[in-house]
Amino acid sequence: MPGRQSRRSVLAAITALPLTGALSACSGNDSAAVRSGSRSRSGRKGTTTITFWSALRGSQQVVDAFNKTHDDIQVDFEQIPSGTQGGYLKLSNAARAGNAPDVATIEYPQLPGFAIDGVARDITSLVGAGLRAKLLPQSLGQTTFGKRTYSVPLDVEPMVLHYRKDLFDRFGLDVPTTWDEFADLARTVRRTGGGRRIAVFPTDGMSQMAGWCWQAGAQWFDISQGAWNVSMADAPTRKVAGYWQRLIDEDLVHCNSTTSRLYDAQIGNGLVLTRLSGAWDAGAQMKGHPEQTGRWRVAPLPQWTPDQPALGTHGGSTFAVTKDSRHPEAAMAFIEWQVAHPDALKARLSSGASSQYPAATGLVSVGRAAFDRAYYGGQDIYRLFEEEAHKIRDGWVWGPRMTATGYVMQDAFARAGAGSGTILSAMRAAQDGTMPDLKALGLATTQHST
Amino acid sequence: MTETGRVTTARTAPAQTAYVSRRTAQRAAKRRPGGAAGVLMTPFLILLTLVFLLPVGTAVWLSFFSDDHPGLGFGPARTVFVGLRSYSAVLTDPTFLSGLGTVGVYCLVYIPLMVIGSLALALLLDSGVVRLRAWAQLGLFLPHAVPGIIAALIWLYLYTPGISPVIEVLGKADITVDFLGLHTTLPSIVNIALWSNVGYNMVVFYAALQAVPREVLEASVVDGAGPVRTALQVKAPLVRSSIVMVAMFTLIWALQLFTEPMLLHQSSQMINTRFSPSMYIYDAAFSRNNYSLAAAASVILLVITIAVSYGVTRWTNRVDSAEENVR
Repeated sequence: MPGRQSRRSVLAAITALPLTGALSACSGNDSAAVRSGSRSRSGRKGTTTITFWSALRGSQQVVDAFNKTHDDIQVDFEQIPSGTQGGYLKLSNAARAGNAPDVATIEYPQLPGFAIDGVARDITSLVGAGLRAKLLPQSLGQTTFGKRTYSVPLDVEPMVLHYRKDLFDRFGLDVPTTWDEFADLARTVRRTGGGRRIAVFPTDGMSQMAGWCWQAGAQWFDISQGAWNVSMADAPTRKVAGYWQRLIDEDLVHCNSTTSRLYDAQIGNGLVLTRLSGAWDAGAQMKGHPEQTGRWRVAPLPQWTPDQPALGTHGGSTFAVTKDSRHPEAAMAFIEWQVAHPDALKARLSSGASSQYPAATGLVSVGRAAFDRAYYGGQDIYRLFEEEAHKIRDGWVWGPRMTATGYVMQDAFARAGAGSGTILSAMRAAQDGTMPDLKALGLATTQHST
Repeated sequence: MTETGRVTTARTAPAQTAYVSRRTAQRAAKRRPGGAAGVLMTPFLILLTLVFLLPVGTAVWLSFFSDDHPGLGFGPARTVFVGLRSYSAVLTDPTFLSGLGTVGVYCLVYIPLMVIGSLALALLLDSGVVRLRAWAQLGLFLPHAVPGIIAALIWLYLYTPGISPVIEVLGKADITVDFLGLHTTLPSIVNIALWSNVGYNMVVFYAALQAVPREVLEASVVDGAGPVRTALQVKAPLVRSSIVMVAMFTLIWALQLFTEPMLLHQSSQMINTRFSPSMYIYDAAFSRNNYSLAAAASVILLVITIAVSYGVTRWTNRVDSAEENVR
């Protein structure tokens, strides 16, 4: 019967999907009610009450810990759905209606869009020197555009190589340190791995592709010249696209979505030997596949030039104060506590295993102490993350409509995986599908299409 | 004198009144249809203004303005007149043009299938070959009573690998089908649309066929035409105006393709967020927060729809008059 049950649950999920948009569109009134309620309460108690929306797990625990230890500021928390059609749509709609929460969670790629739309407030003057000093410079660099800061990073996720230690041992494989070694390894696995593959090229992986290109020195978006220069097929990107295209053409990697049940099966059945993803994915793997305890390890991502190591990120969230906030100082105090106070990270980790790498580097030891190393055979993955985080290339900028850009790219990835087009043509398609958007927003744009 | 005078007055008075009353009658006659038309048209005109002209006007207005973000865009937005900028953005957007192409192909496949299919079914029902005609009619019409979004959900269930009983059964017979693959998405969408609408159009054709005079059919039988020949050469030409009407409505509906791909998009990466012009508009407004772009795309789609409908009407009229001339 489990088959029938899963069928029903999938169907239920499908049925619910179109409703989420409608529900979130209607929720403006709810939050207005919550806000007016909270305001009257704050008037009575003499404390400031702020509202906070997040899709991150463990946020409720963080808010509870904050409220317990603070008398002057109280936080009303609302868990919102993750993803573009869920939380971000809700946030845009609320902002349009003038009742966005005081504090919202925004991932790095979406931040420029929310900053341009005026949803994320310019908090340059609110972020004190003390907080700035605590944060990894490369993370704050991504929330700062033209010297104006629009949000505070919670975590920064260097891209790493998660690999099946047991299978590497069984087939006598060495952990690759360069991309050439990785390609050779892919061929070996294809030859001797009994139908296994080294990895999956994610057709839904705009963020993975970005991480790889970032590492190789690409600059899809550049704002240093006072205009949005878009070059999503620059030389480093062409190198990365060509590299993965060869792996796909030689049938060395699978080419499918990483949010599919197929991918779950590929990981669960050991058909794929590595995952190339952010540090956070170590914790997600523990939750998703508890039966694989002891089989995985984490290694640095392969490099193009090992003597000049560089890295991109994959994932990570930031906290923004919205334009509708009536208490930006209180909102900022809450954000600062959330990202930089050890109790906040402890509370977040209490909701379940997490391997997020905090942007406030002082908290790494807290994360390390709380992390159960058994799943990784005793490996101190946080020490690895720490080394890797410093390799993150500074200066990466996400685009003003990154979600839409990513959709166009991923659609073309999927077509490339089905044999129509290439990874490189997907990159060009993404650029061509982005430019009209940026022009229609009235942004100053330039293009670099070689 | 007086008598004659009286007579004349007596004579002229009724004539005058008759004249006057005729004029008032004429005037009234002139006024009455006008007034009636006015009364009858007012609700229509109010609704036309409220649900069509005003939204279209708003869309056109929106498409010429934009909440502009000058420079890098991080400063405050200001609403400015941008002329045709949004239009040029839409028309240079390869994703919009490919959406138009997709819908073009969809129309070329779907409209002939729909018209021929529903006409064939109507002719079959009308020929009396089908037993349990009422039941057959009901069965064919019933899918039309299912709202489009529910229909798409049902088919999404049938198309999705892993949960679809159809794919499961075919799989047991060693046939692998991917209904949502690179080249199968469009046929899959056409299938849903046919399922939903073929019954409705069949009813339209069937009603038209009922109006075909029996003498004509009897004449054709007397002349030795079989049932197939009667259907194709006598009945079908007689319901020509219905065919044109159905084709036209199907075309307008098809150009606005939205519900089916929007739902199938959840299950297949081959259907992207800008699959059809309508999806492009939705995506521009609600995912890209770009209302002037969405408005410009809407106006372009409206213009295309009107132009194509006008073209089809002109073409069928010309063919009609050409045929008259031949006769």
